[in-house]
Amino acid sequence: MKALWTIAWKDFKTLVTSPIFFLTTAICTAIWSFNYLRSVSRFAQMSSLPPQMRQGQELNIHYHLFIDHISLINLIFIFAIPAITMRLISEEKKSGTYGLLLTSPITATSIAGGKFLAGFMVSLVLILVAFVYPLGTRAFTDFSMGPLLASFLGVCLMTGTYVAIGLFASSLSQSQVLSVILGILFNLILWLISQGSQMSDNEILSSVLDYIHVPQQFFSFLKGTINTSSFLFFLSAIGFFVFLTQRVVESSRWR
Amino acid sequence: MIEVKNLTKRYGDRIAIDTLNFKVKKGEIVGFLGPNGAGKSTTMKIITGQMAPSDGQVWVGGDDVFEKPIEVKKRIGYLPETPPVYMDMYVRDFLTFVAKLKGCESKKIKTSVDLALEKTHLTEVSNRLIQNLSKGFKQRVGIAQALVADPEILILDEPTVGLDPKQVSEIRKLIQALKGHHTVVLSTHILPEVQASCERIIIINQGHIVAEDTLEGLTSRISGSKRVRLRLRKVNGVVDKLNLLNGVTQVNTNGNFMDVDYDGSDQTIESISNLVVSDGAGLLELRPDDVALEDIFIRLTSEGGAR
Repeated sequence: MKALWTIAWKDFKTLVTSPIFFLTTAICTAIWSFNYLRSVSRFAQMSSLPPQMRQGQELNIHYHLFIDHISLINLIFIFAIPAITMRLISEEKKSGTYGLLLTSPITATSIAGGKFLAGFMVSLVLILVAFVYPLGTRAFTDFSMGPLLASFLGVCLMTGTYVAIGLFASSLSQSQVLSVILGILFNLILWLISQGSQMSDNEILSSVLDYIHVPQQFFSFLKGTINTSSFLFFLSAIGFFVFLTQRVVESSRWR
Repeated sequence: MIEVKNLTKRYGDRIAIDTLNFKVKKGEIVGFLGPNGAGKSTTMKIITGQMAPSDGQVWVGGDDVFEKPIEVKKRIGYLPETPPVYMDMYVRDFLTFVAKLKGCESKKIKTSVDLALEKTHLTEVSNRLIQNLSKGFKQRVGIAQALVADPEILILDEPTVGLDPKQVSEIRKLIQALKGHHTVVLSTHILPEVQASCERIIIINQGHIVAEDTLEGLTSRISGSKRVRLRLRKVNGVVDKLNLLNGVTQVNTNGNFMDVDYDGSDQTIESISNLVVSDGAGLLELRPDDVALEDIFIRLTSEGGAR
């Protein structure tokens, strides 16, 4: 456990001071700022209209402003998180420091777990930056914090899954470029795999695919509900990919 | 301390090492000598537990490397061919990180790091980024990370590659100083390296052990003879007389230089020098020839791995 934390803290410091993290944060904040500004002005425009002209819609800041922003966070993270996690293991393999980890008296679980934690802590910094926008809005208007907190939890779990996937992609090769491409590919597959349930004739397969309906699991959090099955779904997805990474690390001992 | 039994590693059809057997006693400094591609690094990787053998067993300090990897890894400090350093870390931070990884007690970490810095003469660069250091310094950081947790066994894979002559001699002195406290396995293809530091030499070629002995043992075993190199003012005439001398086996001339192979006794050297001086050939230089080990090495490793 101590070794896990040693690796996590070292990698966190390295990642959070790396140019790739600065660049990713810069691009993310540029896109979010642009979009958030537009959303806010549209929301202001809508709220200035008399109620009969809103086509029967009840105006709600969470539904009409925040969900839009959070969906964009998620969309960008599909591509940004693999860029952050790409070097976690592949860089070590390339520079020869992987041998240092393998010859140290630590388990493969500590290596995989520590790397995941490092990636997640860095992503958490990015998430906190993303949530500055809705929190900043509170300075001008009052709204219920509950749905926003549930969304925050949802984004954390979703991002954790991306980190675990990116970590696994990074463990597969020495090349960071390959890691980032694989990471994005896996993330997209995760989002789109549920589409298969409509195409499948097999009942068991389609019910399995229905369960791994990531958009549905994720949007349940955005609507403000914390539902145990979605919570467990994301935790098991994270556990699954960290476990796969642990197997890859362990495999070098018997290959 | 280290026992290797029937160790074999195959990469597909290619056999990297073939049924290796050897032992290293506690406190010993053993040189692992072989040409490039002989299987030195593969053997080291298996002993340090980062690669599995196709066959055979390795015990370190009585524990099987594959059954108790954590215990074994605690005892070993390892320097691979390329120093395993994080380019974007400071020297001191890096060594602290390694000390923590190797399971040093948190109270002792600072003293261990300071000691490792001191032993490898890195104290003055301890607050610099590793990527800004020269190759020799990076290599020393690599040695420092192997030393930092004060392991019982040190496995050094070509520790002096890329160092300048002054640094090379410093590292050799350092290895000498480790004698007694640590068991050292030193892999190299550089002969003076083993001559300078090792008590016992294992020569490996194409995955086989071709010789295993002390330095003196190896030298006498192969030829049963030694060689001196002479530099004379005039060579003519002396050669025939030297050839007739008791104990001299062979004489080769090259310009003013003369290589004389003899039976190794001090008496023969005395009569060689007497003869040269009394003959008026003008003796300018007489020294034992260090090339002897190189000859052994070349002979052993060019016979296609024959035992």
